[in-house]
Amino acid sequence: MSSLDHGYWKSIAELESDLPSGETEFATSGLAEADDSVDPLNRRNFAKLMGASLALAGVAGAGCKRYEREGIVPLGRRPEDQVPGTNQAYATSFELGGHGQALVVTSFEGRPIKVDGNPEHPFAGGGVVAGTKRHGASTAFAQGSILHLYDPDRSQSVNHSGKGASFSDWKAWLGELRKQANFNRVRVLSEATSSPTVAALRRRLNSEMPGLIWHEWEPISWDNERAGMVQAFGKVVRPLAKLDQAETIVSLDCDFFVDHPASLRYSRDFARSRNPETSTLGRGRMNRLYVVESVYSSAGVLCDHRLPVRSEHVQAVAQQLEHLLVGTPASQAEVVKEAKVARVLEALAREVKANTGRVVFLAGRKQPPAVHALAARLNQTFGGVTVEYREDPNPTRPTHAEAIATLTREIEQQQVETLFILGGNPVYDAPADLDFATKLGTVKNTVHLSEYNNETSARCTWHVPRAHYLESWGDSLTWDGTLTLQQPLIAPMYGGISIIELCAMLLGDETPADQLVARTLAESGAGGSWRQAVHDGFVDKTQLAPQAVQATGGGGGLAAATGGSDVNNGQLEVTFVASSATYDGRFANNAWLQETPDFLTKVVWDNVALISPDTADKLGVRSQDVVRIKLGDRQLDIAALVMPGQARGSIGVVLGGGRTKAGSVGNKQREWVGGGFDAYKLRASAALDIATGATVTKTGGRYKIVTTQDHHDIRHGFSLSDTVGDKEYQKKVPDLVREVDRQDFADASYKAEKQHPWYHDHHHGRGASLYKEHVYEGRKWAMAIDLGNCMGCNACVVACQSENNIPVVGKREVNRNREMSWLRIDRYFKGDLNDPDVVGQPVACQHCENAPCEAVCPVGATLHSSEGLNDMVYNRCVGTRYCLNNCPYRVRRFNFFDYHKEFQDARNNVRKLLFNPDVTVRERGVMEKCTYCVQRIQGAKIKAKNAGERGPLPDGTITTACQAACPTEAIVFGDLSDPESRVSKLHGDRRQYELLGEFNDKPRTRFLARVRNPNPELVSQSQPAHH
Amino acid sequence: MSRFLFPEWTQPLKKYVITPALLIGPVYVVIMAALIKDPQTLRVGYMPEQPVPYSHALHAGEMGLDCRYCHNVVEVSPKAAVPPAATCMNCHQTVHPKSENLLPVRQAFFENEPLRWVRVHDLPDYVYFNHSAHVTRGVGCESCHGRVDRMVRVWQSQSLTMQWCLDCHRNPEPNLREPANVTQMGYKPAPGEGAKVKARLKINPPTDCSTCHR
Repeated sequence: MSSLDHGYWKSIAELESDLPSGETEFATSGLAEADDSVDPLNRRNFAKLMGASLALAGVAGAGCKRYEREGIVPLGRRPEDQVPGTNQAYATSFELGGHGQALVVTSFEGRPIKVDGNPEHPFAGGGVVAGTKRHGASTAFAQGSILHLYDPDRSQSVNHSGKGASFSDWKAWLGELRKQANFNRVRVLSEATSSPTVAALRRRLNSEMPGLIWHEWEPISWDNERAGMVQAFGKVVRPLAKLDQAETIVSLDCDFFVDHPASLRYSRDFARSRNPETSTLGRGRMNRLYVVESVYSSAGVLCDHRLPVRSEHVQAVAQQLEHLLVGTPASQAEVVKEAKVARVLEALAREVKANTGRVVFLAGRKQPPAVHALAARLNQTFGGVTVEYREDPNPTRPTHAEAIATLTREIEQQQVETLFILGGNPVYDAPADLDFATKLGTVKNTVHLSEYNNETSARCTWHVPRAHYLESWGDSLTWDGTLTLQQPLIAPMYGGISIIELCAMLLGDETPADQLVARTLAESGAGGSWRQAVHDGFVDKTQLAPQAVQATGGGGGLAAATGGSDVNNGQLEVTFVASSATYDGRFANNAWLQETPDFLTKVVWDNVALISPDTADKLGVRSQDVVRIKLGDRQLDIAALVMPGQARGSIGVVLGGGRTKAGSVGNKQREWVGGGFDAYKLRASAALDIATGATVTKTGGRYKIVTTQDHHDIRHGFSLSDTVGDKEYQKKVPDLVREVDRQDFADASYKAEKQHPWYHDHHHGRGASLYKEHVYEGRKWAMAIDLGNCMGCNACVVACQSENNIPVVGKREVNRNREMSWLRIDRYFKGDLNDPDVVGQPVACQHCENAPCEAVCPVGATLHSSEGLNDMVYNRCVGTRYCLNNCPYRVRRFNFFDYHKEFQDARNNVRKLLFNPDVTVRERGVMEKCTYCVQRIQGAKIKAKNAGERGPLPDGTITTACQAACPTEAIVFGDLSDPESRVSKLHGDRRQYELLGEFNDKPRTRFLARVRNPNPELVSQSQPAHH
Repeated sequence: MSRFLFPEWTQPLKKYVITPALLIGPVYVVIMAALIKDPQTLRVGYMPEQPVPYSHALHAGEMGLDCRYCHNVVEVSPKAAVPPAATCMNCHQTVHPKSENLLPVRQAFFENEPLRWVRVHDLPDYVYFNHSAHVTRGVGCESCHGRVDRMVRVWQSQSLTMQWCLDCHRNPEPNLREPANVTQMGYKPAPGEGAKVKARLKINPPTDCSTCHR
């Protein structure tokens, strides 16, 4: 296809030249929509509207007040440290999949409103560039988790057999339970938790209630790695990679940027050794990342070489690599003989041998234990400082799959009379072959402690509301074992209790939760005061002890995989992928996460099955076809999405959709509202991560998948000539996302700016403008975004939504390009349809000095501040939308409807507590866009001025929400008037360039070109040289 | 080409609609414009009744309490903040402890039944005014709130329109005084005091939109 000549393309539809320009495969033509808009102007509303305007027109002066009567309601007694109108920040933590993430949460007048990472935490704190302060990174899930605190769908009362009951009823029942003589018919099924306090309570339960058995189940688990460590070293240890010391990183189906408990740390470390100017490996050096995976992931985006192979073949590839490195028997699989795989493996083997001591192998959680063992063996030989092993906090725990299977067996054998389910949602996510839902119904007494009255609660005799993590005391361990504390920022809104409190109640212990946590801290011997620990949010020097390991010499254990990439239907593999929106389904009711497009597929509001273009052709499947995937005797009907880069013969099924009792947002609803498909129906205990022998057939049905991949396409914005078509658009992409090979970058004369033909064109001199240009004295706000660091975790997008009260519009409106998030991450593919490279570019308002939007606003609603910000004045905006039309970057968003209207309902009022009070909540009819977090800028300026400080603020005083969330510090914000600020230095960097700078709009956001570091042996001769 | 003639049915339009509109229209517009600028519309003089007949004239005027005794966060917070009932009870546990007028205050303090004051100086929700930025730079309380020490019931004495704010932002000197004296009521700044403060504190009030509109 000739359009590939110029390299970049944004979606498959573009490559299909028979589609008219601008339309995509996801255009709405042909699929019927019900006609029911969010804000109907029906007869009644119309009359109201007319009545109101008539009243206003006629009755001026007769007591017509300007604004509605407001009240001021102060507290009866104000807490000592609370200053009304200002924020306080508290350190706490949050657990995902049983591993802690350290947070600092901002609280306004007693209610938490914004989550950020804890910059001081020893595990992932510390800046990417040596000597700089860290801004506390967080994951998208942490950013979105606060929405659940104020979710009106949250469970607000105890339920007994489906009817409301009171807490005292439940406590009375619990009291009766405790009186019985033995507890060998009592079981606990808990979600995974690393909390030492829960572990201590569990030990007490085991000793005070002998016979009680505690099982732990988590649908997305790293148990394969634990088993692999046992194979390799004879004991359970926890590997901790040091990516900042690694020259070569080999990822075997491991997305360590997002899908790993230590992702914040690995992202930071990767960025540390990546940037050629500041690399921890030495100036001018960069790490090199090889990724072998089936589903396109963030690691695949930032890598230098990617091998798309089926997950079941990763072990064959690994085996072949081991053969090339240490001479163990070669793999017999056909896949290793494929041209690209063989070539890359040979070059990689040479590289690993050359870099011995600074190589690290990472195996992903889906891979079987044998692959983890292999990676561990190779790390022993070729790694050195790059990986260390720590003791596991709970080495005797059975695997999650075993635990729930054991429990199910016990229930079948009627050994269980009382079952406590602490958190989690096993009815929804337990392996399908166990039929846990039915078995649960046979247990006499079941108690589910959960934040929502979900699928599991519906089948339990008792449902007890669980306190949100922001409402409870607790603790957890980050991946390295640092004890991280959790403190409540608000009293339980609905009287919920935490797991710690429930265990204490079960023990008959009246000690309040904070004392239990303090006791654990005291008993840990870590020293330090309780107050200091709660203030910091962690206790330093509590990391898990390093373990010396020795390879037990066991080799093999790898299945004798034979196949190649070409497979027939019936031999397809299915891999289960965690959703970037709902994780394992627990965040289904989180509208922010549901509407944030997955970075690689750009899908919103649904989970899909990912199929590679070749395989889709073979099966005759197109995107949005509903396909039936059959695995053994289980089947699932799910919408398919053709995804470039997906391995051939592999179907990536995203988990976490199709829920029935998630809440009004997350439930699976009709097609135009979304909700996805219940992929857990396919997932059986024998194959929780990789299943083989799948058959895919078309059902003939279609399902609307909404993606944002072609929305706000910059390339459509700037061509004035109608004769320019898609081919011309593709030519522009290398100017938008500039990349350079390290070899070319090493040449000191390289400048990313020069990559644009305009730079060399002497006729278009820079700075020619009809207007007299403003001279900025004083502060100059600016931003720099490093494309080499952005791996698409979406933390910035959700952080922006949280900070700026950005509404959610729903699937139908997203389909009409009306999504509201101010920050979008454009994703461009490059290269072969089945094996492309991907580059991502976060784009928000560029705050152009010569802003095209400011020139065209008829009412002066968008003006430039004296500090370089493009101000948006919501109250002046009349909704012409000319500014959006004129913006070449397409970063403006319009409120087509009143998206906050539903919060006026009494039931939904609680959601209003989450709004950031420093940012206007926009109503229908106004334009909005990124403001460089002007509320944070103003707050910092006023604070400094109050203290009498003038002059530039110290660099790092102000961080925008997106900057603060980014784990790799890809976004840097600061003051250009300070020549020592990081952003000033980055604006003078060789890699910097302006997006669409040829318009002479002088954007204040500059991008840093991405430096790729391909293995010189693997760079193909036919690639055009960059100039 | 033939001459265009208005059809017959437009004749009554001319008589009953267009002419009256053209006569009354401008009058209507002028009246509306005047009424919009009328201080009564702008709520100057707005003096709502409060749940407790708290008299600033008594406390701040006669007894000489400093504004910041109760509105104690004004130098660090965007809001001046009506004080919690606890502040009132500092004195009123012993002074008039059984007064009927003070019953709501005692209820707020002892029973957590909050006092619902009616807001007098109200700006639209899209305006973000920051007290601390003004109070610490020498803008007196009375410059915007008037002689509160003479108000038995608080009423709005200034229009608080954007134009009024801009008038000061563009020319702050007449309204500036030494920051130490911001709470003094009836203060007459010395000649040139405003200019001196402006120069010393390098006061340069911004008129960018984002200063107040976020």
